Amino acid sequence: MPDHSTWTFALTGAATGLIGSMLGLGGGVFLVPLLTLALGVPIRAAIAASLVSVIATASASATVSLNRGLVNMRLGLALEVATSVGGLAGGLTAVLLSQRQLFAAFALTLAVMGVLMATRSGRRNIIADPDLDPGRLGGRLEEDGVLYVYRVKRLGVGLVSSLVAGAISGLLGVGGGIIKVPILNTFCGIPIRVAAGTSAFMIGVTAAASSFIYWSRGDVVVPLTAAVALGALPASLLGARLAARVQARYLKIIMAVVLVAVAVRMGAQAL
Amino acid sequence: MSAAPSPLDRVVEAVLTAGVFLSGCLLLAGLLLERPPLLRAGILLLLATPVARVVVVTIGLLRQRDWLFALVSLWILAVLMSGIYLAAHVGRASSRELARITERER
Repeated sequence: MPDHSTWTFALTGAATGLIGSMLGLGGGVFLVPLLTLALGVPIRAAIAASLVSVIATASASATVSLNRGLVNMRLGLALEVATSVGGLAGGLTAVLLSQRQLFAAFALTLAVMGVLMATRSGRRNIIADPDLDPGRLGGRLEEDGVLYVYRVKRLGVGLVSSLVAGAISGLLGVGGGIIKVPILNTFCGIPIRVAAGTSAFMIGVTAAASSFIYWSRGDVVVPLTAAVALGALPASLLGARLAARVQARYLKIIMAVVLVAVAVRMGAQAL
Repeated sequence: MSAAPSPLDRVVEAVLTAGVFLSGCLLLAGLLLERPPLLRAGILLLLATPVARVVVVTIGLLRQRDWLFALVSLWILAVLMSGIYLAAHVGRASSRELARITERER
């Protein structure tokens, strides 16, 4: 039978997968600190395990979002272009920033997003006029039997933030959902559920791009990674279904709390 | 809250479900039976799932004659493939380096 550390890793993966899948994140932003700080896993092994777990969480929760029509595939593809370029650029420019500067910049961005999210949690991005043209990248969605339309605003902001998210992803072992979901929701006019679904659709690919390199370098510690990913899989299927029962307003408040909490931790690490 | 999923949504959902379910079974069996090869297979299958998803989306968009987004999807596939190529290269390079180091230590 597996020993108790296997269960600890599986439970850790389950917890981060559950919260991540509710918000369209991969959970890596919680998983890396938990593995390194609380469980004493070396940083490279933690990043590698996190990338695999992000793929597990994103793939599992994307099945639920696709089934509910909450993935805006064309918007996701457009942003993936920026993310993939960012991923490559991140690898090249990583040497220019110290870990401390990186954490400080990351913490500041997340804190601002958290405050914006909390203050705008009551605002809706959807328009109850089904005849309105959603534009090339916008879409429609149904809530309580009413058909709503949303349009994509400030695509440039979305593209630039995806570029940054991609660059951070390979460096920190996260999917980048924690940057994309709030930006898509607060700046680009995407309803929170579609932002989460589209993010889940994208971040599996973002994480996959760098995970093969970690695999071939031998950074993937197999039993650890397997336990974390196995815990994340069922928890993510559950979390994505659970999110459908939570009101959009409360999803945004949960997201704001998560953003501020991660910002405080990152900020503490930068000091 | 939902909208009707498109046929392509359905296909991608099926691909992701298959990847998630199969790798989950491999990981569970590998952990319970303590078989590392099953664990490695499960992890690699998980890594391959997003790649399969990009391939399926690219084919779907080509069949819809949506050339612009098919091109976008091909670009993403190219980036993923270059990541895999780089990984194979880095892997070979680091194992060569390892062989050199072990030889020197002897």
